[in-house]
Amino acid sequence: MFKVTNATGGYGKTTIIRDVTLEVKASEIVALLGRNGVGKSTLMRYATGLILAKKGSVEIAGARAPAAPAKRARLGLGYVPQGRFVFPRMTVTENIAVAAASNGFDAKETVKKMLADFPLLGPKANDLAGGLSGGQQQVLALARALAIKPKILLLDEPTEGVQPSIIDEIAGVLKRINQESEIAILVAEQNLDFCLSIAERAYVMEKGSIYLETDRESLSRDKELQQELLGV
Amino acid sequence: MELDYLVTVLLSSLSSASILLIATLGLAVVYGLMGVINLAHGEFLMVGAYSALTATQIGIPYPLAIPVAVVTTMLIGAIVELLIIRRLYGRLFDTMLATWGLGMVFNQAAVLLFGTVSPGIGMPQYNFKIGGYSLAAYSIAMILVAAVMLAFVYLLMTKTVYGMKARASIQEPKMAQAIGIDSSRVNTLTFAIGCGLAGFAGAILLPIIPATPSMGLFFAVKGFLTVVVAGPVALTGSALTALGLGGGASVTASFMTSVVGDVFFFLVTALLLWLYPMGISARWRRKL
Repeated sequence: MFKVTNATGGYGKTTIIRDVTLEVKASEIVALLGRNGVGKSTLMRYATGLILAKKGSVEIAGARAPAAPAKRARLGLGYVPQGRFVFPRMTVTENIAVAAASNGFDAKETVKKMLADFPLLGPKANDLAGGLSGGQQQVLALARALAIKPKILLLDEPTEGVQPSIIDEIAGVLKRINQESEIAILVAEQNLDFCLSIAERAYVMEKGSIYLETDRESLSRDKELQQELLGV
Repeated sequence: MELDYLVTVLLSSLSSASILLIATLGLAVVYGLMGVINLAHGEFLMVGAYSALTATQIGIPYPLAIPVAVVTTMLIGAIVELLIIRRLYGRLFDTMLATWGLGMVFNQAAVLLFGTVSPGIGMPQYNFKIGGYSLAAYSIAMILVAAVMLAFVYLLMTKTVYGMKARASIQEPKMAQAIGIDSSRVNTLTFAIGCGLAGFAGAILLPIIPATPSMGLFFAVKGFLTVVVAGPVALTGSALTALGLGGGASVTASFMTSVVGDVFFFLVTALLLWLYPMGISARWRRKL
């Protein structure tokens, strides 16, 4: 469904990720684990096309991904970046509407659906996104990514700086959309509990490469690996 | 001081501020939605003025000559964006140099094509009186034109899909691409619209400001300062700045001399930029 093969890339002349290969099957939730600075976000940006690929390729829904990020979005790649990056001087409604309209979907209908799916956003619909709290912005960034009707959703640190009640809500929403709409999800996280609650499988990164592939059962048994990931 | 004098000063100052705003809006759109300072903006205004003038000379009535000017400048703007501007994104100073050079080319081309002296378009002048003072109706009508133009741009940028895409692209360029916005196409259109607005300004102001090859310079300097003082909330910011700076300078000029008016303009600009280095609207929570 979604494949990254031999991904090598970085910023300028610095290479951050090297020969990363991973796969997310249809309607699967996969976690990307690893401590700070191992290249998780870089891998996400590589997959979206926002950084230049030195080597390797990306496959979305069976098609080889074109270079332009906008074209990858249209193939069905949804992206929720670390730090959210909502459009601050646009309203909540506009943030969702512009994503839907840019991919040829009905903006009004999508906004209505998203506001129904995320009741938290309802009362804020006409507020500027820049004025929302961190958790609200995270939910908005998720709604914006879902507005393009993705087949694969990339989430980069969705729990960072988000209050626990909203984290639970996000986990619930991810499970639901994964089951209802069969959206595959790749989530980069430091929050182990969050990952264990939603992902069936995980890749562990270290120094720009994947050094371990594991599943939920062995990860929840392996206390040593958990300690290492938590950086204790 | 008499009431009729005050009203006259107020109206003519408001009219000067409106003329500045009309001439500046295109620049504000291009800066506010693309982050590009188009130093050839004044020359696009001049191209608009000559397009309208040429159109009237071949027999097209003046009201129809205005759309001719808009279409002409939009087309030239789109070509300039495709050939030059898009290669220089994110390089503010390089774009300024390139557009400055482009302005010179336009300027000289106009000298070669039209010469340095231009005929007026020979519109009848209507005046009206307030007390003992007479005002030109067309200049005062510019207040209305500025308001309509402002409303048009505001609606275009807030109510249309294109407008949303353009604002998303300037606020978070990478995210805009990642959600499927074709930024380069949006930018071509934004630049063309900015140039079209300059063309409209040149055409609509033609009865008051005759077309000359160097007419752009006057507007380029004041327009540029207005946009920089306005800051990131480009539309509201520019409207307020044009009103304050342009209107203020005009009021000062009517009580003293036009030189003092210009001194007022530049001193207040310097003061505002010292107080708000990122523009007066840097912290505003507004859409545009």
